[in-house]
Amino acid sequence: MRALRTAASGMLAQQLNVDVISNNIANMNTVGFKRQRAEFQDLLYQNVARAGTQSSASGTVVPTGVQVGSGVRPGAVYRILEQGTVTRSDNPFDIAIQGAGYLQVTMPSGETAYTRAGNLSTNAEGQLVTHEGYLLQPGITVPEGARQVTIAADGQVQVAIDGQTEPQTVGQIELAAFLNEAGLEAMGGNLFMQSGASGAPQTGTPGTPGFGRLLQNYTEASNVDAVSEITALITAQRAYEMNSKVISAADEMLSTANQLKQ
Amino acid sequence: MDNIAYVALSRQTTLRREMDVIANNIANADTTGFKVESLMVETAPVAPAATMDAPNPVNFVTNAGITRDFGQGALQQTSRPVDLALEGDGFFMVEIQPGTYRFTRNGAFNTDESGRLVTSEGHPVLDANYNAISMNPAAGPPTVSEDGTIFQGATQVARLAVVRFPVTRNLTKVSDNYYGHPPNEPPVPAEDARVRQGMREASNVRPIVEITNMIEVQRVYERVSRIVDTTEDLSRRAVERLGEVKG
Repeated sequence: MRALRTAASGMLAQQLNVDVISNNIANMNTVGFKRQRAEFQDLLYQNVARAGTQSSASGTVVPTGVQVGSGVRPGAVYRILEQGTVTRSDNPFDIAIQGAGYLQVTMPSGETAYTRAGNLSTNAEGQLVTHEGYLLQPGITVPEGARQVTIAADGQVQVAIDGQTEPQTVGQIELAAFLNEAGLEAMGGNLFMQSGASGAPQTGTPGTPGFGRLLQNYTEASNVDAVSEITALITAQRAYEMNSKVISAADEMLSTANQLKQ
Repeated sequence: MDNIAYVALSRQTTLRREMDVIANNIANADTTGFKVESLMVETAPVAPAATMDAPNPVNFVTNAGITRDFGQGALQQTSRPVDLALEGDGFFMVEIQPGTYRFTRNGAFNTDESGRLVTSEGHPVLDANYNAISMNPAAGPPTVSEDGTIFQGATQVARLAVVRFPVTRNLTKVSDNYYGHPPNEPPVPAEDARVRQGMREASNVRPIVEITNMIEVQRVYERVSRIVDTTEDLSRRAVERLGEVKG
Protein backbone atom coordinates (compact mmCIF):
# COMPACT_ATOMS: atom_id res chain seq x y z
CA MET A 1 0.00 0.00 0.00
CA ARG A 2 1.55 3.26 -1.15
CA ALA A 3 -0.08 5.33 1.60
CA LEU A 4 2.35 3.82 4.10
CA ARG A 5 5.44 4.99 2.21
CA THR A 6 3.84 8.31 1.32
CA ALA A 7 3.16 9.05 4.97
CA ALA A 8 6.68 7.93 5.88
CA SER A 9 8.08 10.47 3.40
CA GLY A 10 5.91 13.09 5.08
CA MET A 11 7.29 12.16 8.48
CA LEU A 12 10.87 12.31 7.20
CA ALA A 13 10.22 15.74 5.70
CA GLN A 14 8.80 17.05 8.97
CA GLN A 15 11.75 15.60 10.83
CA LEU A 16 14.07 17.69 8.65
CA ASN A 17 11.80 20.67 9.23
CA VAL A 18 12.17 20.26 12.99
CA ASP A 19 15.96 19.91 12.59
CA VAL A 20 16.12 23.22 10.74
CA ILE A 21 13.81 24.98 13.20
CA SER A 22 15.76 23.70 16.21
CA ASN A 23 19.02 24.89 14.67
CA ASN A 24 17.46 28.34 14.24
CA ILE A 25 16.31 28.40 17.84
CA ALA A 26 19.69 27.16 19.08
CA ASN A 27 21.37 30.02 17.22
CA MET A 28 19.03 32.73 18.40
CA ASN A 29 21.89 34.56 20.10
CA THR A 30 24.61 33.82 17.54
CA VAL A 31 26.07 37.03 16.14
CA GLY A 32 25.36 37.43 12.43
CA PHE A 33 23.36 34.18 12.18
CA LYS A 34 20.79 33.99 9.38
CA ARG A 35 17.75 31.80 9.91
CA GLN A 36 16.96 28.96 7.55
CA ARG A 37 13.79 27.47 6.21
CA ALA A 38 13.12 24.03 4.76
CA GLU A 39 11.21 23.99 1.52
CA PHE A 40 9.34 20.89 0.33
CA GLN A 41 8.35 19.50 -3.02
CA ASP A 42 6.05 16.71 -4.06
CA LEU A 43 7.46 13.45 -5.37
CA LEU A 44 6.75 11.70 -8.64
CA TYR A 45 3.20 10.96 -9.68
CA GLN A 46 2.03 7.64 -10.99
CA ASN A 47 -0.30 7.89 -13.93
CA VAL A 48 -3.01 5.30 -13.32
CA ALA A 49 -5.04 6.66 -16.21
CA ARG A 50 -3.50 9.32 -18.38
CA ALA A 51 -5.65 12.32 -19.26
CA GLY A 52 -6.31 12.65 -22.96
CA THR A 53 -5.91 8.97 -23.81
CA GLN A 54 -8.66 7.26 -25.74
CA SER A 55 -11.21 5.51 -23.62
CA SER A 56 -13.11 3.79 -26.40
CA ALA A 57 -12.85 2.86 -30.05
CA SER A 58 -15.27 5.66 -30.95
CA GLY A 59 -12.68 8.25 -30.00
CA THR A 60 -13.81 9.40 -26.57
CA VAL A 61 -10.95 10.55 -24.37
CA VAL A 62 -10.30 10.36 -20.63
CA PRO A 63 -11.16 13.89 -19.44
CA THR A 64 -9.14 13.90 -16.25
CA GLY A 65 -6.42 11.38 -15.61
CA VAL A 66 -5.89 9.51 -12.40
CA GLN A 67 -2.55 10.60 -10.99
CA VAL A 68 -1.50 9.36 -7.61
CA GLY A 69 1.37 11.16 -5.91
CA SER A 70 3.97 9.35 -3.87
CA GLY A 71 4.75 11.82 -1.11
CA VAL A 72 7.09 14.66 -0.39
CA ARG A 73 10.80 15.39 -0.34
CA PRO A 74 12.87 18.28 0.94
CA GLY A 75 13.51 20.61 -1.99
CA ALA A 76 15.92 23.07 -0.43
CA VAL A 77 16.93 24.62 2.84
CA TYR A 78 17.10 28.35 2.24
CA ARG A 79 18.97 30.89 4.25
CA ILE A 80 16.88 34.00 4.82
CA LEU A 81 19.32 36.86 4.48
CA GLU A 82 17.23 39.50 6.12
CA GLN A 83 19.23 42.09 8.11
CA GLY A 84 19.48 41.24 11.80
CA THR A 85 18.95 44.01 14.31
CA VAL A 86 22.12 45.80 15.36
CA THR A 87 22.77 45.83 19.07
CA ARG A 88 25.17 48.08 20.89
CA SER A 89 28.15 46.36 22.48
CA ASP A 90 30.51 49.28 23.19
CA ASN A 91 33.45 47.24 22.02
CA PRO A 92 35.43 49.36 19.51
CA PHE A 93 36.35 46.23 17.56
CA ASP A 94 32.73 45.18 17.05
CA ILE A 95 31.45 46.11 13.62
CA ALA A 96 28.00 45.41 12.27
CA ILE A 97 27.36 45.42 8.52
CA GLN A 98 24.22 47.32 7.62
CA GLY A 99 23.26 46.08 4.19
CA ALA A 100 24.88 43.56 1.85
CA GLY A 101 28.40 42.22 2.13
CA TYR A 102 30.65 39.94 4.12
CA LEU A 103 33.91 40.49 5.96
CA GLN A 104 36.75 38.46 4.46
CA VAL A 105 38.74 36.19 6.73
CA THR A 106 41.91 34.24 5.96
CA MET A 107 41.59 30.70 7.20
CA PRO A 108 44.61 28.83 8.61
CA SER A 109 44.60 26.82 5.37
CA GLY A 110 45.08 30.01 3.37
CA GLU A 111 41.56 29.93 1.94
CA THR A 112 39.28 32.92 2.23
CA ALA A 113 36.11 32.60 4.29
CA TYR A 114 33.32 35.12 4.64
CA THR A 115 31.41 36.18 7.71
CA ARG A 116 28.76 38.60 8.92
CA ALA A 117 29.90 38.23 12.54
CA GLY A 118 31.91 41.40 13.10
CA ASN A 119 32.87 40.77 16.70
CA LEU A 120 36.58 41.22 16.08
CA SER A 121 39.53 41.64 18.42
CA THR A 122 43.26 42.17 18.10
CA ASN A 123 45.91 39.49 18.52
CA ALA A 124 49.34 39.76 20.14
CA GLU A 125 50.75 41.54 17.07
CA GLY A 126 47.91 44.06 17.02
CA GLN A 127 46.31 42.52 13.92
CA LEU A 128 42.53 42.52 13.60
CA VAL A 129 41.25 38.93 13.95
CA THR A 130 37.95 37.13 14.39
CA HIS A 131 37.13 35.61 17.75
CA GLU A 132 38.76 32.41 16.50
CA GLY A 133 42.00 34.25 15.75
CA TYR A 134 41.67 34.18 11.95
CA LEU A 135 43.14 37.25 10.25
CA LEU A 136 40.88 39.83 8.67
CA GLN A 137 41.58 40.37 5.00
CA PRO A 138 43.01 42.87 3.93
CA GLY A 139 45.09 42.80 7.11
CA ILE A 140 44.89 45.70 9.49
CA THR A 141 47.40 46.20 12.29
CA VAL A 142 46.68 48.50 15.17
CA PRO A 143 50.07 50.00 16.17
CA GLU A 144 51.36 49.88 19.72
CA GLY A 145 50.41 52.84 21.83
CA ALA A 146 47.22 53.49 19.93
CA ARG A 147 44.66 55.03 22.21
CA GLN A 148 41.46 55.12 20.31
CA VAL A 149 40.38 53.11 17.29
CA THR A 150 37.74 54.57 15.00
CA ILE A 151 36.17 52.52 12.21
CA ALA A 152 34.24 54.74 9.84
CA ALA A 153 31.07 53.74 7.97
CA ASP A 154 33.14 53.41 4.79
CA GLY A 155 35.59 51.01 6.47
CA GLN A 156 38.49 53.36 7.10
CA VAL A 157 40.30 52.46 10.33
CA GLN A 158 41.95 55.34 12.14
CA VAL A 159 43.82 55.39 15.44
CA ALA A 160 44.79 58.21 17.75
CA ILE A 161 48.36 57.84 18.96
CA ASP A 162 49.81 59.47 22.06
CA GLY A 163 51.80 62.54 21.20
CA GLN A 164 50.20 63.00 17.78
CA THR A 165 47.42 65.48 17.10
CA GLU A 166 46.23 64.04 13.78
CA PRO A 167 44.59 60.60 13.75
CA GLN A 168 46.53 58.07 11.73
CA THR A 169 44.90 55.86 9.09
CA VAL A 170 46.02 52.26 9.54
CA GLY A 171 43.87 50.45 7.01
CA GLN A 172 40.69 50.05 5.04
CA ILE A 173 38.17 47.27 5.67
CA GLU A 174 36.74 45.81 2.47
CA LEU A 175 33.56 43.84 2.02
CA ALA A 176 32.83 41.00 -0.39
CA ALA A 177 29.45 40.61 -2.10
CA PHE A 178 28.12 37.67 -4.06
CA LEU A 179 25.74 37.31 -6.99
CA ASN A 180 23.89 34.63 -5.12
CA GLU A 181 24.45 35.02 -1.41
CA ALA A 182 22.04 32.21 -0.61
CA GLY A 183 24.39 29.82 -2.41
CA LEU A 184 27.26 30.31 0.05
CA GLU A 185 28.31 27.19 1.88
CA ALA A 186 28.09 27.43 5.66
CA MET A 187 31.00 25.80 7.43
CA GLY A 188 30.17 26.55 11.06
CA GLY A 189 31.84 29.12 13.27
CA ASN A 190 29.74 31.82 11.54
CA LEU A 191 31.91 31.36 8.45
CA PHE A 192 30.88 30.80 4.85
CA MET A 193 32.83 29.59 1.85
CA GLN A 194 32.40 30.43 -1.79
CA SER A 195 30.60 27.65 -3.72
CA GLY A 196 29.69 26.91 -7.29
CA ALA A 197 26.24 28.35 -6.67
CA SER A 198 27.34 31.57 -5.00
CA GLY A 199 29.44 32.95 -7.84
CA ALA A 200 32.76 34.72 -7.45
CA PRO A 201 33.12 37.36 -4.72
CA GLN A 202 33.25 41.02 -5.70
CA THR A 203 35.08 43.18 -3.22
CA GLY A 204 34.36 46.81 -2.60
CA THR A 205 34.45 49.67 -0.16
CA PRO A 206 31.63 49.69 2.40
CA GLY A 207 28.97 52.25 1.59
CA THR A 208 29.45 52.11 -2.19
CA PRO A 209 26.52 50.76 -4.29
CA GLY A 210 25.98 47.08 -3.62
CA PHE A 211 27.80 47.11 -0.28
CA GLY A 212 26.50 47.86 3.20
CA ARG A 213 27.89 50.37 5.66
CA LEU A 214 29.83 49.54 8.79
CA LEU A 215 28.73 50.46 12.25
CA GLN A 216 31.37 50.47 14.95
CA ASN A 217 30.53 49.49 18.56
CA TYR A 218 27.62 47.35 17.35
CA THR A 219 27.09 43.70 16.48
CA GLU A 220 24.45 42.26 14.18
CA ALA A 221 22.12 40.00 16.13
CA SER A 222 20.73 36.84 14.53
CA ASN A 223 17.56 37.39 12.51
CA VAL A 224 15.75 34.48 14.20
CA ASP A 225 12.29 35.44 15.35
CA ALA A 226 11.36 33.35 18.39
CA VAL A 227 7.60 33.58 17.91
CA SER A 228 7.61 32.48 14.29
CA GLU A 229 10.06 29.65 15.04
CA ILE A 230 7.86 28.29 17.82
CA THR A 231 4.80 28.55 15.58
CA ALA A 232 6.67 26.69 12.87
CA LEU A 233 7.71 24.07 15.40
CA ILE A 234 4.11 23.48 16.47
CA THR A 235 2.99 23.19 12.84
CA ALA A 236 5.79 20.74 12.07
CA GLN A 237 4.95 18.60 15.09
CA ARG A 238 1.27 18.44 14.18
CA ALA A 239 2.08 17.61 10.58
CA TYR A 240 4.33 14.81 11.83
CA GLU A 241 1.48 13.45 13.96
CA MET A 242 -0.95 13.64 11.07
CA ASN A 243 1.37 11.58 8.89
CA SER A 244 1.71 8.99 11.63
CA LYS A 245 -2.11 8.82 11.79
CA VAL A 246 -2.11 7.98 8.09
CA ILE A 247 0.36 5.17 8.74
CA SER A 248 -1.83 3.66 11.45
CA ALA A 249 -4.97 4.02 9.30
CA ALA A 250 -3.26 2.35 6.34
CA ASP A 251 -2.01 -0.33 8.69
CA GLU A 252 -5.53 -0.97 9.97
CA MET A 253 -6.82 -1.25 6.42
CA LEU A 254 -4.18 -3.85 5.71
CA SER A 255 -5.08 -5.73 8.86
CA THR A 256 -8.76 -5.64 7.82
CA ALA A 257 -7.71 -7.23 4.55
CA ASN A 258 -5.73 -9.83 6.43
CA GLN A 259 -8.71 -10.74 8.59
CA LEU A 260 -10.86 -11.51 5.55
CA LYS A 261 -9.93 -15.16 5.46
CA GLN A 262 -9.87 -16.61 8.94
CA MET B 1 -22.63 -15.04 -5.43
CA ASP B 2 -19.20 -14.28 -6.90
CA ASN B 3 -20.52 -10.89 -7.99
CA ILE B 4 -20.63 -9.68 -4.41
CA ALA B 5 -16.98 -10.43 -3.84
CA TYR B 6 -15.99 -8.83 -7.14
CA VAL B 7 -18.04 -5.65 -6.54
CA ALA B 8 -16.56 -5.41 -3.04
CA LEU B 9 -13.08 -5.91 -4.45
CA SER B 10 -13.59 -3.12 -6.98
CA ARG B 11 -14.64 -0.76 -4.18
CA GLN B 12 -11.72 -1.80 -2.01
CA THR B 13 -9.26 -1.12 -4.81
CA THR B 14 -10.59 2.41 -5.23
CA LEU B 15 -10.59 2.93 -1.47
CA ARG B 16 -6.93 2.00 -1.30
CA ARG B 17 -6.19 4.45 -4.07
CA GLU B 18 -8.18 7.09 -2.22
CA MET B 19 -6.07 6.39 0.83
CA ASP B 20 -2.92 6.91 -1.28
CA VAL B 21 -4.25 10.25 -2.47
CA ILE B 22 -5.11 11.35 1.07
CA ALA B 23 -1.67 10.25 2.29
CA ASN B 24 -0.10 12.34 -0.47
CA ASN B 25 -2.18 15.36 0.54
CA ILE B 26 -1.17 15.04 4.17
CA ALA B 27 2.50 14.46 3.30
CA ASN B 28 2.36 17.68 1.28
CA ALA B 29 0.50 19.71 3.89
CA ASP B 30 3.60 21.92 4.15
CA THR B 31 4.63 22.03 0.49
CA THR B 32 4.63 25.52 -0.97
CA GLY B 33 1.92 26.02 -3.59
CA PHE B 34 0.61 22.43 -3.33
CA LYS B 35 -3.01 21.96 -4.37
CA VAL B 36 -5.16 19.37 -2.66
CA GLU B 37 -6.25 16.40 -4.77
CA SER B 38 -9.15 14.03 -4.52
CA LEU B 39 -10.08 10.85 -6.30
CA MET B 40 -13.38 10.66 -8.12
CA VAL B 41 -15.00 7.28 -8.54
CA GLU B 42 -17.76 6.21 -10.87
CA THR B 43 -19.91 3.17 -11.49
CA ALA B 44 -18.85 0.78 -14.20
CA PRO B 45 -21.76 -1.38 -15.33
CA VAL B 46 -20.62 -4.82 -16.44
CA ALA B 47 -22.28 -8.09 -17.24
CA PRO B 48 -22.49 -10.21 -14.07
CA ALA B 49 -20.56 -13.43 -13.58
CA ALA B 50 -23.78 -15.45 -13.16
CA THR B 51 -27.11 -14.13 -14.36
CA MET B 52 -29.48 -16.42 -12.45
CA ASP B 53 -30.92 -13.95 -9.96
CA ALA B 54 -28.34 -11.20 -10.02
CA PRO B 55 -29.18 -7.69 -11.17
CA ASN B 56 -28.04 -7.11 -14.71
CA PRO B 57 -25.78 -5.23 -15.25
CA VAL B 58 -23.80 -5.28 -12.02
CA ASN B 59 -22.28 -1.92 -11.08
CA PHE B 60 -18.61 -2.09 -10.29
CA VAL B 61 -16.68 0.88 -8.89
CA THR B 62 -13.78 2.36 -10.78
CA ASN B 63 -11.69 5.54 -10.60
CA ALA B 64 -12.92 8.29 -12.85
CA GLY B 65 -10.18 10.81 -12.32
CA ILE B 66 -8.30 13.10 -9.99
CA THR B 67 -9.59 16.58 -9.29
CA ARG B 68 -7.34 19.31 -8.02
CA ASP B 69 -8.75 22.11 -5.97
CA PHE B 70 -6.92 25.14 -7.37
CA GLY B 71 -8.28 27.31 -4.57
CA GLN B 72 -6.01 29.90 -3.03
CA GLY B 73 -3.63 28.74 -0.30
CA ALA B 74 -2.94 31.00 2.67
CA LEU B 75 -0.17 33.55 2.14
CA GLN B 76 2.64 33.52 4.67
CA GLN B 77 5.18 36.25 5.05
CA THR B 78 8.81 35.16 4.63
CA SER B 79 10.72 38.44 4.13
CA ARG B 80 12.82 37.00 1.31
CA PRO B 81 12.76 39.38 -1.67
CA VAL B 82 12.69 36.50 -4.18
CA ASP B 83 9.82 34.64 -2.48
CA LEU B 84 6.88 35.41 -4.72
CA ALA B 85 3.34 34.22 -4.13
CA LEU B 86 0.43 34.32 -6.54
CA GLU B 87 -2.95 35.53 -5.49
CA GLY B 88 -5.70 34.47 -7.85
CA ASP B 89 -5.74 32.14 -10.83
CA GLY B 90 -2.29 31.88 -12.40
CA PHE B 91 1.04 30.08 -12.63
CA PHE B 92 4.68 31.03 -12.93
CA MET B 93 6.39 29.65 -15.98
CA VAL B 94 9.64 27.68 -15.86
CA GLU B 95 11.80 26.26 -18.63
CA ILE B 96 13.17 22.86 -17.63
CA GLN B 97 14.81 22.17 -20.99
CA PRO B 98 15.08 24.45 -24.00
CA GLY B 99 11.54 24.58 -25.34
CA THR B 100 9.99 22.50 -22.53
CA TYR B 101 7.89 24.52 -20.13
CA ARG B 102 6.50 23.76 -16.71
CA PHE B 103 4.10 25.73 -14.58
CA THR B 104 4.19 26.22 -10.85
CA ARG B 105 2.53 28.06 -7.99
CA ASN B 106 5.68 27.69 -5.89
CA GLY B 107 7.35 31.08 -6.10
CA ALA B 108 10.16 30.40 -3.61
CA PHE B 109 12.80 31.38 -6.14
CA ASN B 110 16.52 32.01 -5.93
CA THR B 111 19.13 33.72 -7.97
CA ASP B 112 21.90 31.55 -9.37
CA GLU B 113 25.61 32.31 -9.71
CA SER B 114 25.02 34.39 -12.85
CA GLY B 115 22.16 36.43 -11.37
CA ARG B 116 19.33 34.57 -13.13
CA LEU B 117 16.05 34.04 -11.33
CA VAL B 118 15.68 30.27 -10.87
CA THR B 119 13.54 27.75 -8.98
CA SER B 120 15.05 25.63 -6.24
CA GLU B 121 15.69 23.02 -8.95
CA GLY B 122 17.83 25.58 -10.79
CA HIS B 123 15.44 25.94 -13.73
CA PRO B 124 15.11 29.52 -15.06
CA VAL B 125 11.90 31.41 -14.39
CA LEU B 126 10.58 33.05 -17.55
CA ASP B 127 9.44 36.55 -18.35
CA ALA B 128 6.43 37.46 -20.46
CA ASN B 129 8.46 36.86 -23.66
CA TYR B 130 9.52 33.37 -22.48
CA ASN B 131 13.11 34.47 -21.78
CA ALA B 132 15.12 33.87 -18.63
CA ILE B 133 15.31 36.79 -16.21
CA SER B 134 18.77 38.13 -15.36
CA MET B 135 19.21 40.53 -12.52
CA ASN B 136 22.07 42.89 -11.81
CA PRO B 137 23.56 41.74 -8.51
CA ALA B 138 25.15 45.13 -7.86
CA ALA B 139 21.79 46.91 -8.07
CA GLY B 140 20.45 45.55 -4.80
CA PRO B 141 17.46 43.34 -4.03
CA PRO B 142 14.60 43.40 -6.56
CA THR B 143 11.17 44.88 -6.01
CA VAL B 144 8.28 43.06 -7.63
CA SER B 145 5.03 44.86 -8.32
CA GLU B 146 1.61 43.24 -8.24
CA ASP B 147 1.53 42.78 -12.00
CA GLY B 148 4.83 40.85 -11.87
CA THR B 149 7.14 43.62 -13.06
CA ILE B 150 10.60 43.30 -11.49
CA PHE B 151 12.44 46.48 -10.66
CA GLN B 152 15.91 47.05 -9.28
CA GLY B 153 15.91 50.59 -8.02
CA ALA B 154 14.22 52.60 -10.76
CA THR B 155 15.27 50.22 -13.54
CA GLN B 156 12.72 47.79 -14.92
CA VAL B 157 14.36 44.39 -15.28
CA ALA B 158 11.62 42.19 -16.70
CA ARG B 159 8.02 41.25 -16.34
CA LEU B 160 7.30 37.77 -15.00
CA ALA B 161 5.21 35.43 -17.09
CA VAL B 162 2.04 34.82 -15.09
CA VAL B 163 -0.20 32.56 -17.11
CA ARG B 164 -3.43 30.67 -16.67
CA PHE B 165 -5.20 27.83 -18.42
CA PRO B 166 -8.81 28.04 -19.54
CA VAL B 167 -9.16 24.33 -18.73
CA THR B 168 -7.20 23.33 -15.63
CA ARG B 169 -8.28 19.70 -15.60
CA ASN B 170 -5.82 18.89 -18.38
CA LEU B 171 -2.87 19.95 -16.26
CA THR B 172 -0.77 17.02 -15.12
CA LYS B 173 1.44 16.96 -12.07
CA VAL B 174 5.07 16.12 -12.81
CA SER B 175 6.63 16.28 -9.30
CA ASP B 176 8.77 19.08 -7.83
CA ASN B 177 5.69 21.30 -7.65
CA TYR B 178 5.60 21.53 -11.43
CA TYR B 179 2.59 21.08 -13.69
CA GLY B 180 2.81 20.07 -17.32
CA HIS B 181 0.14 20.79 -19.89
CA PRO B 182 -0.81 19.37 -23.27
CA PRO B 183 1.00 21.34 -26.00
CA ASN B 184 -2.18 21.92 -27.98
CA GLU B 185 -3.60 24.15 -25.25
CA PRO B 186 -1.25 27.09 -24.86
CA PRO B 187 -1.49 29.17 -21.69
CA VAL B 188 -2.96 32.65 -21.78
CA PRO B 189 -1.78 35.65 -19.72
CA ALA B 190 -3.42 35.70 -16.31
CA GLU B 191 -4.94 39.14 -15.95
CA ASP B 192 -6.45 38.63 -12.51
CA ALA B 193 -3.47 37.13 -10.71
CA ARG B 194 -1.44 39.40 -8.46
CA VAL B 195 2.15 38.77 -7.45
CA ARG B 196 2.96 39.26 -3.77
CA GLN B 197 6.60 39.76 -2.91
CA GLY B 198 8.13 38.40 0.29
CA MET B 199 5.32 35.87 0.68
CA ARG B 200 4.81 32.19 0.02
CA GLU B 201 1.59 30.43 -0.75
CA ALA B 202 1.07 27.61 1.72
CA SER B 203 -0.54 24.42 0.48
CA ASN B 204 -4.34 24.49 0.53
CA VAL B 205 -4.59 21.11 2.27
CA ARG B 206 -7.04 21.36 5.15
CA PRO B 207 -5.89 18.87 7.79
CA ILE B 208 -9.31 18.33 9.37
CA VAL B 209 -10.91 17.51 6.03
CA GLU B 210 -8.11 15.09 5.14
CA ILE B 211 -8.20 13.30 8.49
CA THR B 212 -11.99 13.04 8.27
CA ASN B 213 -11.73 11.61 4.75
CA MET B 214 -9.09 9.22 5.95
CA ILE B 215 -11.30 7.91 8.78
CA GLU B 216 -14.18 7.53 6.36
CA VAL B 217 -12.09 5.61 3.84
CA GLN B 218 -10.83 3.32 6.56
CA ARG B 219 -14.31 2.60 7.95
CA VAL B 220 -15.86 2.05 4.53
CA TYR B 221 -13.01 -0.34 3.74
CA GLU B 222 -13.87 -2.27 6.90
CA ARG B 223 -17.58 -2.34 6.03
CA VAL B 224 -16.88 -3.59 2.52
CA SER B 225 -14.69 -6.37 3.84
CA ARG B 226 -17.54 -7.24 6.24
CA ILE B 227 -19.68 -7.79 3.13
CA VAL B 228 -17.06 -10.15 1.74
CA ASP B 229 -17.01 -11.95 5.09
CA THR B 230 -20.77 -12.31 5.10
CA THR B 231 -20.76 -13.65 1.55
CA GLU B 232 -18.07 -16.10 2.45
CA ASP B 233 -20.12 -17.18 5.42
CA LEU B 234 -23.22 -17.65 3.29
CA SER B 235 -21.48 -19.84 0.75
CA ARG B 236 -19.79 -21.88 3.48
CA ARG B 237 -23.16 -22.50 5.14
CA ALA B 238 -24.75 -23.33 1.82
CA VAL B 239 -22.10 -25.95 1.22
CA GLU B 240 -22.61 -27.38 4.74
CA ARG B 241 -26.38 -27.54 4.50
CA LEU B 242 -26.35 -29.05 1.04
CA GLY B 243 -23.92 -31.61 2.32
CA GLU B 244 -26.29 -32.53 5.20
CA VAL B 245 -29.28 -33.00 2.89
CA LYS B 246 -27.35 -35.39 0.70
CA GLY B 247 -26.10 -37.37 3.68
